[in-house]
Amino acid sequence: METQQEIIKVQKLVKRYGDFTAVDGSEFSVHNGEVFGLLGPNGAGKTTTLEMLVGLRKPDEGTAIVGGFDITKELDKVKEVIGVQLQSTTLFELLTVDEILHLYGSFYREHISIPELIDDMLLTEKKNSRIKGLSGGQKQRLAIALALVHDPQIIFLDEPTTGLDPQARRTLWDIILRLKERGKTVVLTTHYMDEAHVLCDRIAIMDQGKLIALDTPSELVRNLQSDSAVEFKFNDEVDIVLSEIDGVKQVGSQKDVHVLYTDDLQKTLTSLIAIASERELKLVDLQTRTATLEDVFIHMTGRRLREG
Amino acid sequence: MRSYYLLTLAQLRIFLRNRQVLFWTLAFPIVLMVMLGSFLGNGNGVSITAAVVDQDKSEQSKNLVKEMEKNEAVSLEKSSNEKDVLSQLKQGDLTLVVTIPKGYGENLAAGNKADPFKLPVYYNETNMAMSQVGLQLVDNAVDAISKKSVSYEPVVVTESKGVEALNLRYIDFLVPGIVAMMIMSNNMNGVAGQISSWRERGILRRMQGTTLKASTFIAAQITARFMLNGLQAMIVLAVAWAAFGIEVRGSWLTVIAFVTLGTLAFMAIGFIIAGIAKTPESAGPIAGFLSFPMLFLGGVFFPIRDMPEFLQPFVQILPIAHLSHALRETMNVGASFLNLGMEAMILGGWLIGAFIVASFTFKWE
Repeated sequence: METQQEIIKVQKLVKRYGDFTAVDGSEFSVHNGEVFGLLGPNGAGKTTTLEMLVGLRKPDEGTAIVGGFDITKELDKVKEVIGVQLQSTTLFELLTVDEILHLYGSFYREHISIPELIDDMLLTEKKNSRIKGLSGGQKQRLAIALALVHDPQIIFLDEPTTGLDPQARRTLWDIILRLKERGKTVVLTTHYMDEAHVLCDRIAIMDQGKLIALDTPSELVRNLQSDSAVEFKFNDEVDIVLSEIDGVKQVGSQKDVHVLYTDDLQKTLTSLIAIASERELKLVDLQTRTATLEDVFIHMTGRRLREG
Repeated sequence: MRSYYLLTLAQLRIFLRNRQVLFWTLAFPIVLMVMLGSFLGNGNGVSITAAVVDQDKSEQSKNLVKEMEKNEAVSLEKSSNEKDVLSQLKQGDLTLVVTIPKGYGENLAAGNKADPFKLPVYYNETNMAMSQVGLQLVDNAVDAISKKSVSYEPVVVTESKGVEALNLRYIDFLVPGIVAMMIMSNNMNGVAGQISSWRERGILRRMQGTTLKASTFIAAQITARFMLNGLQAMIVLAVAWAAFGIEVRGSWLTVIAFVTLGTLAFMAIGFIIAGIAKTPESAGPIAGFLSFPMLFLGGVFFPIRDMPEFLQPFVQILPIAHLSHALRETMNVGASFLNLGMEAMILGGWLIGAFIVASFTFKWE
């Protein structure tokens, strides 16, 4: 039932900080009703892109149309149709959940029923608690509730699950998927691959300020042209051309960890072990797995998503 | 409108729930007032013994002496030997010595406005509290004379009648100063600290992501702070009344008007500091850098006229000087708002100037 109507159109956005170009001419579109993921390591420009779209930073060049309004000219109108959850926001800690929702509701012309919103975000029990005493997951759900208080068409979530425990992350995923069911468009940034895979209809991969890929998660993985990955280390420095091992389609190596991508796991493994025995090399931390978005990223950038 | 109301309410809730801040911002001025008041307050009124040396012996100088005699709080001693009385002053037998030099009458008759006649008043610096009160009384008398000589409006004459009944103590001087100090520190330091910390924690940024207007936010801040300040000023005045019998002689409306002006002016300065300070940690020292000199130079604890000559031009432009002076005039003397037009204008100037600067330096993030 996906309508291909463009609700966000980003046109050559550029943001510079001195000599450093944080976002370098991003161009993409987000369709109405989809969950759109901006994926990339820290410093890739995801947050900067998102903050320009919600009007918190002024682009140096380019613009974007959000919900039909130009972010450089009609920011006030943009703000009415979007809801925002920012990374590491704190709120007035001495107010209660109920009070702050009413407060933020008052910032807009209209707002939805606060008690219903509180129920939806699973905060009913904490309705009259001060924000100070909420857990990380509860605070994050409150931040999303604040983004939804005026019933916006488009919701921007900046790393909504960073720092949460697995249980709290899953609760949040359910909430985001329910938003999609209700026909909302969600734009989120993340550096969790599994999260992007579960939630996003389409993913834009960013690295060093540039958009390097944009597709559905399964299509991105398929483009890797391999089903499986073999990961291992050698005990010593060796000089082997890994791409010559049987069945290997691509090689992704970084530092001392080697990853081989293959469609024929058995053939590649046998060949690898044979070569290792022949040269008397010791394989360490050998594991095999299905290729994931993480591999897509490593393949495209030569780096891991979450390194140092 | 609803967001203005809810933001004000939110700010008041934050104040009230932050008990510790609430307590200490009130405890400090009250403890200071009670301490200084008990040590230096000088019980139930003072009798000031002053000597006047009339070297001029003209009609005008006799008038001046008469004007000074009118005040019941001063027992006036006439003398012709300046040296004698000055040595008595040094020994502490006298509080003040006023000398009317030759030429006073002539000068007054000539009506030289550009260069007002200077009347030397000697006092013993070791007895500050008494001297201040005495100086104020002499000042009032001199004021009355100079006002008469330029034929002031009748309203001013009523004021000088109020002065007659004055029985001023140091505590009378102190309480309005304490109120002014509280207004300064709560607003300037308070706004600077709070706004910069809200900015650091991203609270302001999150609000910037909504359709809320900056003006609504600032208006709500002002309203809430004004309400809290008003309440705190009332509590301090109530304690002053209960402990020292201090009352407001002038109109409450004038007091409220100056509390309002002071609150706004110092808040605006606080907004500037919040704009300049890069971190909440630096906001404190910057606010301290401004508030500390104001505390000691701005006439909170000591009269401005005690300041060295070279500091006077600087002291005269400090907003706190005018706030404390205006409050003092209203509470002690019962001056009306119209009499304090100069103070109101200077505070108003600070308010407008600071808000203009603040609107340029203010940042949401």
